[in-house]
Amino acid sequence: MNETEALAVAGSWVAAMLRSSTPLMMVTLGETLTQRVGIVNLGVEGQMLCGACVGFAVAAQTGSPVLGFAAGAAAGLLLSLIHAALCLGFDANQIGSGIAVFTLGLGLTSYFGRAAIGGQVTGLAPLAGANVAGVPFAGPILTQLTPIAPLAILIVLAAGFWLYRTRTGLNWRVVGESFQTARALGIRPLLVQAQGILIGGLLSGFAGAILSVDYTQTWANEMTKGRGFVAVGLVIVARWNPFYVLPVVLLFGLSEAATLRLQATGLTFSPYLISCLPYVVCLICVIVVSVREGRIGGMPAQLGSVFGSRN
Amino acid sequence: MSPATSMRIVAVIGGGAAFVIAAAIFLAAIGRPPLATLSQMVLYAFGDSYSLSESLVKATPILFCALAVILPARLGLITVGGEGQLYLGALTGTAVVVSFPAAPMILLLPAMLAAGAVGGALWGGIAGVLRARCNVNETISTLLMNYVAVLLVSYVVYGAWKDPTSLGWPATIPFPKAATVPGVFGTRAHAGLIAGILAAVILHIAVTHTRWGIALRVLAGNRKVAAMVGFDFVRQTLLVMAIGGTLAGFAGICETSAIQGRLQGGISVGYGLTGFLVAWLSGQHFLRAIPIAILVGGLIAAGDALQLYSKIPSASATILQGLLFVAALAASGAAGRRSARHE
Repeated sequence: MNETEALAVAGSWVAAMLRSSTPLMMVTLGETLTQRVGIVNLGVEGQMLCGACVGFAVAAQTGSPVLGFAAGAAAGLLLSLIHAALCLGFDANQIGSGIAVFTLGLGLTSYFGRAAIGGQVTGLAPLAGANVAGVPFAGPILTQLTPIAPLAILIVLAAGFWLYRTRTGLNWRVVGESFQTARALGIRPLLVQAQGILIGGLLSGFAGAILSVDYTQTWANEMTKGRGFVAVGLVIVARWNPFYVLPVVLLFGLSEAATLRLQATGLTFSPYLISCLPYVVCLICVIVVSVREGRIGGMPAQLGSVFGSRN
Repeated sequence: MSPATSMRIVAVIGGGAAFVIAAAIFLAAIGRPPLATLSQMVLYAFGDSYSLSESLVKATPILFCALAVILPARLGLITVGGEGQLYLGALTGTAVVVSFPAAPMILLLPAMLAAGAVGGALWGGIAGVLRARCNVNETISTLLMNYVAVLLVSYVVYGAWKDPTSLGWPATIPFPKAATVPGVFGTRAHAGLIAGILAAVILHIAVTHTRWGIALRVLAGNRKVAAMVGFDFVRQTLLVMAIGGTLAGFAGICETSAIQGRLQGGISVGYGLTGFLVAWLSGQHFLRAIPIAILVGGLIAAGDALQLYSKIPSASATILQGLLFVAALAASGAAGRRSARHE
């Protein structure tokens, strides 16, 4: 393989990696922000499904992918209101409430999603037309990616900057560490927690819409296939830090892209076994960081009551 | 009446009322007469002996999956792995049937059930080892392993175990008579139901009246104190997760053998998740889980009947389960706040 070919292959790998990891990037960022204020939300899986379903239906109806993204994000936000109400208003157990929200999202999307099955959407246009396809390395990236991937990366970086470099970001981190300190500083912890849950809802709904409108361009029941749960695992791997979300999710996307490529090469390997890989990879990553937990740290102290500490 | 009991009564009545209101709103929103549909669902669930037996059929795996949640919960662990354990149990149990389809019943049936139980125990046990040895959160590991187990079943039914005579339908050979869990009362309800009720009673006695139960309670309360009196968290975690997996795996092979008659992709319609719901509704109590599993089994059976007779998609049963869960969490939360204020 000469240098040009190698660059072209590398470019298409980067493009595939970015495309498959963009939805996961948004949902992992959302769950990271939610957990930073001391709330675990397993409902992200259901919120993502709602975002995918509503986003797809709106994009198919209006012909506008942008409206689809907005509607998907709004749907995720609406569903996360239930988690906020149960956890903050009724002191319900966060894991139980998350599973309840997931069940609702699963039921609602398989009920109302029947109407969207078989619909047609046009995704966003690629970053550049076919005329740059020949450009080494950048060519495949620019022709295969839509503006949503760079936008997602910008959102992650902005969120990281906001969390660590602004006053309100500091307030959020304080709430995640200690309610008492937050109250002493004049912060209202429940208000911040509600915002954290809703931002997570917004981003997970957006992630779902990216998946259905931009990536697969179809709607199918349970199409998120546990990506929301994977995101909850990846939050732990990224140590609750938005900046680490980027490399963790990209590495994960690389493994997914690799499995898709393996299948495309016609390797006689069961697609069902290959489909196990994302979950196994995620679990292995969680195991590795959990073993080193004590040394790495980074878990917001308020999460201890939900995740259970090592006492 | 103790404050705890009165709180529970308030929660049950409030949660029930909230659920009926939410369900009525949902049914009205999809253009169905709410009260008529709800009363129809009660009839579809428990109206005659056929409906009742269908409800019991659904209740059986749900009860097992609830027990698989409740036992770890007694140690303070939250597992959502019933679905995966059920699938793995179905897989390993079927392995025996596929390998020895002509074996006599007296050998085949017990071997199949034991293999199913071992498969579930393995799946639960892995999450247990990860929790105890590597500090991996059991909720996340069980959620991820659910997907793997479902895919493994797809792998065998589309691959090596596919029945060549099934004309492309991805399923194993039909189970021989010698590998069929017998029915009870002359209906589709099967012996698994009786095993599930027995398991609930035995577990209830074990955690309330034995030294083991004390160990679980102390470990759930304070691990340092427990270590001082010689209770081992690692061993108990492994044990409760493996026993939980055994129960769910047993349910998986029973469902495959008695109801489906062959291993195929969709063994479970979310029984693991429903079992989790039942465990919470019961307040993590083995005996209370029995009637609640039958009630929720009735809800799912009624959902199937609605699809058949009224053309309401059965996904409505999933929505109603979600609403039930939300109502129950809200009601018990509200009752808890009230009693906290009175103390």
